[in-house]
Amino acid sequence: MRSHLAASVAALGLFAGAAHAQDLKFPIGEGPFSWDSYTEFADAHDYSGETVSITGPWTGPRAAQFEAAIAYFEEATGASVNYSGSDSFEQDIVISVEANSAPNIGVFEQPGLVADLAARGQIAALDTETADWLSENYASGDSWVGLSSFAGAEGDKQLFAFPYNIDLKSLVWYSPLAFEDGGYEIPETMEELKALTAQIAEDGGTPWCIALGSGAATGWPGTDWIEDLLLRTAEPEIYDQWVTHEIAFDHPDVIAAFEEFDWFLKDEYLNGGRSNSATADFRDSGAGLFAVPPECYMLKQGTFMPSFFPEGTEVGPDASFFYFPSYAEKDLGDPVLGAGSLFAVTEDSEATRGFIEFLKTPIAHEAWMAQSGFLTPYGAANAEVFPSDADRELNEILTDATVFRFDGSDLMPGEIGAGAFWTGMVDFMTGDDAESVASDIEDRWSSID
Amino acid sequence: MTNIAGKRAPLVWAMHVAVFLLVVIWLVPTVGLFVSSFRDRDQITVSGWWEAPFAVENSGYGRTDADAALREGDIWVIEGNILDSAGAEGQFGADADVRLVAFGTSLRRPSEFPAGEVASTEDGERFRVEADGTYRVELPEDPGDRAPRIYFTAQTPPSFTLQNYGTVLTAAGMDRAFLNTLTVAIPSTVIPILVAAYAAYAIAWMDFRFRNLILAAIVGALVVPHQLALVPLLRLHQAVGIGQSFLGIWLAHSGFGLALAIYLLRNYMAGLPRDIIESAKVDGASDFQIFRRIVLPLSFPALAAFSIFQFLWTYNDLLVAKVFLPSNETSRVMTVKIADDLLGSRGGDWGILASAAFVSIAVPLVVFFTMQKYLVRGLLAGSVK
Amino acid sequence: MPPVLQGLLTIAVGVGGCIGYFYLANFIVDAVIFPAKGRNANANLRRADAVRPWLFLFPALFLLVLYTWYPVVGSFIRSLYDRAGDDFVGLSNYAAMWREGGQRAFLNNMAWVVIVPAMSTFIGLIAAQLTDKIGWGNFAKSLIFMPMAVSFVSASLIWKFVYANDPDIGIINAVRYALGADSTVDPLQIPIWNNFFLMVILIWIQTGFAMVILSAALRSVPEETVEAAIIDGANPFQIFFRIQVPQIMSTILVVWTTITVLVLKVFDIVYTMTGGNFDTEILPSFMMDFMFRDDGRATAVAFVIMVAVVPVMWWNIRQARSEKR
Repeated sequence: MRSHLAASVAALGLFAGAAHAQDLKFPIGEGPFSWDSYTEFADAHDYSGETVSITGPWTGPRAAQFEAAIAYFEEATGASVNYSGSDSFEQDIVISVEANSAPNIGVFEQPGLVADLAARGQIAALDTETADWLSENYASGDSWVGLSSFAGAEGDKQLFAFPYNIDLKSLVWYSPLAFEDGGYEIPETMEELKALTAQIAEDGGTPWCIALGSGAATGWPGTDWIEDLLLRTAEPEIYDQWVTHEIAFDHPDVIAAFEEFDWFLKDEYLNGGRSNSATADFRDSGAGLFAVPPECYMLKQGTFMPSFFPEGTEVGPDASFFYFPSYAEKDLGDPVLGAGSLFAVTEDSEATRGFIEFLKTPIAHEAWMAQSGFLTPYGAANAEVFPSDADRELNEILTDATVFRFDGSDLMPGEIGAGAFWTGMVDFMTGDDAESVASDIEDRWSSID
Repeated sequence: MTNIAGKRAPLVWAMHVAVFLLVVIWLVPTVGLFVSSFRDRDQITVSGWWEAPFAVENSGYGRTDADAALREGDIWVIEGNILDSAGAEGQFGADADVRLVAFGTSLRRPSEFPAGEVASTEDGERFRVEADGTYRVELPEDPGDRAPRIYFTAQTPPSFTLQNYGTVLTAAGMDRAFLNTLTVAIPSTVIPILVAAYAAYAIAWMDFRFRNLILAAIVGALVVPHQLALVPLLRLHQAVGIGQSFLGIWLAHSGFGLALAIYLLRNYMAGLPRDIIESAKVDGASDFQIFRRIVLPLSFPALAAFSIFQFLWTYNDLLVAKVFLPSNETSRVMTVKIADDLLGSRGGDWGILASAAFVSIAVPLVVFFTMQKYLVRGLLAGSVK
Repeated sequence: MPPVLQGLLTIAVGVGGCIGYFYLANFIVDAVIFPAKGRNANANLRRADAVRPWLFLFPALFLLVLYTWYPVVGSFIRSLYDRAGDDFVGLSNYAAMWREGGQRAFLNNMAWVVIVPAMSTFIGLIAAQLTDKIGWGNFAKSLIFMPMAVSFVSASLIWKFVYANDPDIGIINAVRYALGADSTVDPLQIPIWNNFFLMVILIWIQTGFAMVILSAALRSVPEETVEAAIIDGANPFQIFFRIQVPQIMSTILVVWTTITVLVLKVFDIVYTMTGGNFDTEILPSFMMDFMFRDDGRATAVAFVIMVAVVPVMWWNIRQARSEKR
């Protein structure tokens, strides 16, 4: 705290605020980390005095975790990394790329946006060794390479981004204490989940915390519900065609998924009712699970959610999760919805390339794994560093997934997946019917195709 | 005029009351922000800022201490203080002046029984919890390592803290944003003044062709929405190599503020006494000298008014900063910081939001209250004919 | 170089550059090109005087044209091209924008343009009249004027403490609970009304401005007209609305138009309070949805705002001309 203040005072006094060395979260050489990979990397790379700037969508605790992870890159190479997170990252990155003031690396959660920028020649392609590395070292590596490869300005397909930090979306978080107190069992099927929802409401409790609020990105948590439900009510092929606009956005199967979601959106099932859910901030919604008395019992959200649980909440004893189940009556397997962050080079430099190399070291993954809310398909990263069994279980879901689908809203073009779909979910939450919401989005999509 | 009202006492009273109400309505939201910025996070979520001086009720729970279980006849008894249990201590602090008002045996009903009463459960367990947190639990069986939990509702005295400000100024990065805001606002205020002053003098006191046309162009420019400028000008900045940068935003703000500056200064200068200027001309002073020695010093009130205006405007701007500055931590100004970072990442942390807002309005408020005289004068010069 | 230093340097270069420019330009005109001596002394003096205004004006005009008038043209041209900026598409950006939410934003914006200036001016007028007549009026005035100093973003945050959908944060819901309601409402989600709640924030900010100016105008109303009315037996309301208000009508119009222009620029409030959701989109916030994703449409929206401002601009210019000097 003091050093930060001193830096500001120095800046006031017209001196450059020198980047102060960050304390490393996990001391080098201790614990089950792959320190060999760290030393090896540190020996091979020296970028003293250079700066790598990164912007991404993570703010608050997520940003702090990422910063703690990149501290190892700084320590190893002597470079300094400036990370800035913004809720309107999707807009900001486009503006700054236009203005030639792009950061070295952008952290994209939307492959669609990377594709846009790559096609305009505003992203530097990664080399083929990196592509080979990904397909060899990441679980289902080829699909990650496929996801991160786009047509460049000359129309040739190249690898443009490096996936790092994967989220599982198909999870429901709950408080074991509250479940024990109410005598509730973990549901194995969607039918049981619905029965449990009704049961909790009948007992006078509120089953769900659903919160769509997320600053400039308000609405996106709703898109995950639609996608997960679509994967559970229709064939995966329908999903694939839907995200690529081979079928209309308001295809009957999609409308049906909206209607399924609507079943959960009864006022008595939601903390604060439907109108509160439309604006409540998703980052605060976790607190409701642990309130006394509980404000809600279940929260459907991705792997990163524990970062936003109240301070001191431990995954395992205080907070736990179960797989968002599929219908017993439908034979569609157990699909998993996920998302990931793609690191793309928006302003090339030697140190930037070095940073991408750093992401190939196990330590880069372990440094975040050991905090919380981080999963990786990288087999060489030691699963022992996960802070809890829960995290290990999550990672296994990821590495074992058979039907794995990437978050659809992230695959759609920015104006839909990071625009119309979000606001559509807010409209739906506040009472618009499924057909009109879906057909509005379809109109918008067909007008930009 | 006061005398007519003076004759009607009720009317005077009505006026006082009306103004008082108006002031209250105008102040209440800001007071709410101010009070909240000093409150504890735990207190903000359970009681409104208007209840800040009173104790708040929070619910919590703790597990009774199984190690302390003693056998008394055929029952097991645990005694201890629930506020000392691990869970409760974290929430309420070890030595806070906390008083239990009620307790319960189920998570759902933390205030089922008033403190001091005895509660019996269906399983034959008996609980007694006092206001100071001491409890006596009687169990029919050996609890083993699964001692029962006690849920309770406790009153905590009001607490005020500077913690929010500490967090905002250090961890949340508002210190940097504050510097950035000043870095944007000060040059954006200073640069256009001189440029505008010369132009205003020319329009007010010099004769040349197209003067009316130029005045019309300036008056028209007063109302041109900044939105129009965003796309073409960012492209222009990019083309000349300025891009998104402080230099870019200084130029943009200066350009946007120029119309108002010229207009205000010209109105003021045109009102200066004609004979001073003409006698100076007769004495052989050039326009350049007249401007420097006579008009500029005399125009100080108008210059001050414009400076305040422009400073407040650039300091408070969100739109121009979002477009002309890079959106990274090192150059984000306070408005962008609040709107794009804090409102999201600290959405429910009202104390933090409130103190961040207060940090951001502190400077304008000081400027405003110390320079109000000039501001009002400038406003009048600009709009009252 | 840290931005603070850069800033000081820019101030120095900017101010120094200006002074240098004006001084040098004058010197060159007076001493080099048209020296006021020799055979052509008189003619040169005349020519120098003809050139000097343009010397004074040049930097200002250059910036003004570049930053205000060029964008009007630049934006309009850009709005006729497609999203990539390569193909001429005529007015189709306008048509598409209108179809997809632009209509709603336009209608909301029109409501803002009518209601905010009207309410600010009206409340400001009443406040001016009342505060002028009581002892602590000046104190009351500065408190009502205070929101002028606050950024729109902070103002929105301040009003979140009024509108929050939580009886422990938002005053509106607290009052509802105190009156016996048992569920919260989110004022920002009530159709149509939510627009009004957002406007309240801007009214809160702008009333002080209207009050200060109108108060000065009211004081300049000649005492005799008021006294004559008193002798005629008019009551205070008649005096105010029949005698005083008509005499300051031109000032009221100035205040009104100034606020109108401001309303058309403000996007911050909608951006921070609702992000344009719940049918509260207005043109400036609607434009941000497209900014740099689809510049064709963004500039089309901006140009619609420009067109909406034109009547005010025309009126302003006419006013300025009629005053002469």
